[in-house]
Amino acid sequence: MSKTEGQIWIHRLRKKWITLYLLRLLAVSLAMALVISALLVHVLHLAAWYFVIVLAIILIILLVAKPIWKSSDSDFSRFINHQYPELEESADLLLQHPEGLSMLQKLQLAKIEKVIHTINPEKEPLRKLYIGLAILLAGLLISFGITKIPQIHKAHQVASANQNPVPIIKEKVPAEVSAFDVTIIPPAYTGKPERKQKQFTIKAETGARVIWQFDTNISLKTMKIIFNDKETIVLKPQNREATKWTFAKTIEKSGFYQLEIDGRRSDLYQMEVIPDLPVNIKIIQPKQRTTIDIGQPQKFNLKLNLSDDYGINDAFISATMASGKGEGVSFTEKKLSFNTSFNNQKHIALGKEIDLKSLGMKPGDELYFFIKAMDNHGQSSRSDVYFVSIVDTTELMSMAGMTNGVNLVPEYFRSERQIIIDTEKLLKEQSGLSAEAFKTRSNELGIDQKLLRLRYGQFLGEENETEIGGDHDDHDEHAEHAAEPEKFGDVTAIMDKYAHKHDIAEDATFFEPEMKAQLKAVLTEMWNAELRLRTYKPQEALPYEYKALRLLKDLQQKSRAYVAKTTVKTASLKPEKRLSGELDKIMQPVQKMLAERKEQRMVQLKASLALLESRKSGKKFTEGDRFLLSDTEKYMIGAAADNPTTYLNALTSLRRLSGNTRLQVSDIDIAQKAIQKMIKGETASPQIQSALPASALYQNYFNNLNKAGR
Amino acid sequence: MEFKYIAIILSFILLSFLLYKEISRADKARLMWRLIASVMAVTCFALLIVPVKYRIPSSQNINEITLLTKGTNPDSVAKISGTKYSLAFTIKGLKTKQIQDLPYFLATHPDINKLNIYGYGLSDQDLKGLAGYGINFHPAAKPGGIISANWQQTIKSTEQLQVQGVYQNSSSESVKLLLKGLGNSIDSVSVAPNSSKPFSFKTQPKQIGRAVYELISLENNDTLAKEPLPFIVTEQGKMKVLILSSYPDFEYKFLKKWLFDNQYPLVFRTRISKDKYSSDFLNTDSLNVDRITASSLKKFDVLIIDEGELAAIAPDERTAINDGVKGGLGLFIRISDLKPASAFSSRFGRFELPPSKDKQLSLSLKDEDYKFGKLPLEQTLFLKTTVNDKPMVIDGSGKTLVSSTLQGSGKMLITSITSTFNWLLSGRITDYTRYWSAVLSAAARKKHEAQSVQILPQFPSIYGKTEFIVDLAESGKAPQIKVNGVKLAPGQNIELPFEWQASFWPETSGWKALSVNQSTQPFFVYKNTDWLALKNQQTIISTSQLSNKANHHTTKTSLTNNFSEKEVSIWWFLSGFILASAFLWYESRILSA
Repeated sequence: MSKTEGQIWIHRLRKKWITLYLLRLLAVSLAMALVISALLVHVLHLAAWYFVIVLAIILIILLVAKPIWKSSDSDFSRFINHQYPELEESADLLLQHPEGLSMLQKLQLAKIEKVIHTINPEKEPLRKLYIGLAILLAGLLISFGITKIPQIHKAHQVASANQNPVPIIKEKVPAEVSAFDVTIIPPAYTGKPERKQKQFTIKAETGARVIWQFDTNISLKTMKIIFNDKETIVLKPQNREATKWTFAKTIEKSGFYQLEIDGRRSDLYQMEVIPDLPVNIKIIQPKQRTTIDIGQPQKFNLKLNLSDDYGINDAFISATMASGKGEGVSFTEKKLSFNTSFNNQKHIALGKEIDLKSLGMKPGDELYFFIKAMDNHGQSSRSDVYFVSIVDTTELMSMAGMTNGVNLVPEYFRSERQIIIDTEKLLKEQSGLSAEAFKTRSNELGIDQKLLRLRYGQFLGEENETEIGGDHDDHDEHAEHAAEPEKFGDVTAIMDKYAHKHDIAEDATFFEPEMKAQLKAVLTEMWNAELRLRTYKPQEALPYEYKALRLLKDLQQKSRAYVAKTTVKTASLKPEKRLSGELDKIMQPVQKMLAERKEQRMVQLKASLALLESRKSGKKFTEGDRFLLSDTEKYMIGAAADNPTTYLNALTSLRRLSGNTRLQVSDIDIAQKAIQKMIKGETASPQIQSALPASALYQNYFNNLNKAGR
Repeated sequence: MEFKYIAIILSFILLSFLLYKEISRADKARLMWRLIASVMAVTCFALLIVPVKYRIPSSQNINEITLLTKGTNPDSVAKISGTKYSLAFTIKGLKTKQIQDLPYFLATHPDINKLNIYGYGLSDQDLKGLAGYGINFHPAAKPGGIISANWQQTIKSTEQLQVQGVYQNSSSESVKLLLKGLGNSIDSVSVAPNSSKPFSFKTQPKQIGRAVYELISLENNDTLAKEPLPFIVTEQGKMKVLILSSYPDFEYKFLKKWLFDNQYPLVFRTRISKDKYSSDFLNTDSLNVDRITASSLKKFDVLIIDEGELAAIAPDERTAINDGVKGGLGLFIRISDLKPASAFSSRFGRFELPPSKDKQLSLSLKDEDYKFGKLPLEQTLFLKTTVNDKPMVIDGSGKTLVSSTLQGSGKMLITSITSTFNWLLSGRITDYTRYWSAVLSAAARKKHEAQSVQILPQFPSIYGKTEFIVDLAESGKAPQIKVNGVKLAPGQNIELPFEWQASFWPETSGWKALSVNQSTQPFFVYKNTDWLALKNQQTIISTSQLSNKANHHTTKTSLTNNFSEKEVSIWWFLSGFILASAFLWYESRILSA
């Protein structure tokens, strides 16, 4: 079946469009891949071949997103209908078999076939392709710009980098290595430029990426890099002659490494990590505890300095306000921000005036706050807690503590009981006392009873004693009375000086009416007792006294809360077993334990110290000594992995000592020093003292001395 | 016939022959001169062979000799007339008569009864032969350097090495004295110019085995001296501890844990009820401790007990403890009451004081001068000490809290401190371990060694006589003494049958292995240049001591035979002989020709 002209035209057009579209896609994805891989290579320091992967990924994504190649001719005809109005929505006629067309369709087809040739179909896709090419150009420019960023960066930080150059350490470079480069790329947040050095000793920031590049003068079979004597990595040559080698590693921990070139190990080189410290917060103002007195403005100035080794990201005040007292304390927390922006500065001085009133603080409230700061690596640190309190003036002026009867009650109960005891004592001793003495004591008891009554009277808000009972005006000891209120009613006396309190019965309203009634009843009983005592009838006074005490006891109970007991199930006691004194059922527990042998580390290190000491005098190492030394070396490797600056030299010295036959006292000194540092925190332990040999003569002498002493 | 008479007779024969020849010569010119010349030549020749001596009166007493020893200042002896002697190879640069062996010299010169000694004096060995002689000692200026030093030759591991001594600085610069060991500088002290200063260094050596520390004296970076300080750190078995407690408390709990962790064999018995105990056997086999018997106590080195338990145990158990202590067991009693509850603890008096204001107890070890961290305790109970007691731990004002006394061959310690575990709680582990180490070490049963060796002198040196005095536990059998495999012949002490003595002359310095009956112990031989100042100081001291002793009974020396012999130099005779023979030759050849 031959294709009609129209069909061929549409088919070709579709092919052209798809091709152009794919070209455009390629251009766009190239541009995107360029930009992305430029970022990857220069920010994340990945290898350049990542570009291919990125390109492939983008291409696939774009293709899958718009699978244009799947479209059929009929789809395309719909598309060109839409695209070119000249076709009068009849492009699909071109695709249909001419024999199956109606008359009208044939006419239209003939008209369209003429139009086809006038259409320039490439114009639109070409235009889009140019846009795509423009994007590619832009991508090229951007990626080129990205590659230049580090250099601009470098130019900025040349000054700061020059300030702390890597200290030059003399180190032995393996003979096979003709040239080498160590590139240290600090993590991005440090803002430090990458640096190159011609030295194996590395001092890098935590998380820095270190790239080693070696050029060797001969072709090598193998090249290994060994970290901390544990982790061995076999390098792959970068060129066919095996003279170029490279290796990259992110360093998180201090340690050491060495190269192994064709089976021969190099010196040990140290890797020291500069840790990123959290933000240092220094509060200059206020003091740790500040009290704001009356009259002072209820605000304070907060001044502080923040410093970090790489940059501060955020800082805020975390404030907690405590208000209320005792059980009624309530806390409210607030986060106050400093109204400044943090642009990763290394140092910043912050200040803030904190208005306590606006925080809603009242007198008596306290403010606790601390500063929390974050550095640009996300480490947070916080300051000590600072206190600011506002003095409560009402607290100072209040009389609550002085008139609060409840606190004083127990003492008074005792007094009533005392009076009863004294009365009973008086009655007991009555026979042995003279009438005069009896009367005096009875009267004295009456006075005590009166004083007690007066005290309770205060709780009822009575201004003076005369009102109680109301019927004891005919007192015979006025002089005594005059003195008494001064003594006991101190508070009232002082108050009287300042206030004219006539009908102020405020104090009395501490109690409920019911309680008041009972208190009144107490007073009546007390008065009755006093009356009997004063009339020298203590026997008659006793019942009143007891009643008063009982009422008081009741009062006391009333002020107490009652909590019902919950049910408790206890094992029923076996009375026949209790207190029998039989112990035969009691077990005698016996425990046996053996402490596990302490690790040999300490013992071996100590022995190796002495071994090195004996080496100083020229003694050669024996086979057993070498075994001990290799154990010591193992321990030292562990120590050096954590603290390369302290132990790496010693490790090198130790290796030299065990391998070398020539004596180097300085090496021994270094190794001994390090071993002593490794034996840390040794405390004293009890030791058996030794005595001279106990010969029979001494023993006889001692025995005779003992006999003589008896 | 003596040689000189033969020579004289032969000379006479020669002279008469010469005279006959001169007289009988035909030419009689200058006969007189020739005769004179002949006589002169022969006389001079004879005198060349036979020396001419003459005596001159001198002020020097022939019963006295002047002996110069090391360190003699040349200026001070320049004025001394008469013959000066010195021991062989000791003095250089001064003209002296050398004495090879002083005792021999004195034996061959019986008229000598007094010696004038200059310099640093004589060694003990030489001084031995000088008993009975009058000695006039003119000591040299004090030697500069370390003039006395002492330290433990052997310490137990975790014990402190204490180096003490005196440095005499005779220079006008201050001197820094530095203790160095195992590659570390440990401590230093500076000594002011022209003064002597006692020094004391303390350190806890970390090695086990032998080590040589160094005591270095420095004057402005110049090393004046480097003295070796050899010592040995030994490790030994752990002491066995028995704790009897009447009730469990934290003090016991922490002590138990600490001893357990340090692998001390420990039996811990707590009373639960009457005759009912809970027992822990830590790091040891279980044994029956329900009843304390003499035989069970023999297995322990220290018994820690509180007063309540001491009162609660049966009387025969108390007797067993008493006998055990007399036999060497250490007893450590904890008290908390003013009233003594048993006869044991009542040996120590106690008194109570109202609590002090500062509510903290600051303790210190009396012997070691070590101050502990403060304990948050209100201590009211203190111990009275008598002359028989030794206070071990005292508080800030000197009141005793731990005291020790001897009981038989054992020791009894008592303490009124109730809770030392507070140190552990506050993280002061060192204080806690120091306290209990001191207390338990003092209390524990002493271990009798099978033998002991004493090495004389303090600093054995190359080619110097070194003596080993060996004490054996068993007497009667001669010990095998070897130094580096070389067998020595020991001699038995006449009075003490278990003491043996052997001498040795080392040839090299450094550590030497001394083995006595299989057990080997190292000893150190010093170089002859080590500890010079100290050695000189020692000879000064011993010489002046002897001279002081000798001067108490000085012998009167006579000044009667007050002559010394002098010899006429033979050069005179030689020149006379040459002159005379030259004249004779000249006359016969030239004048007579």
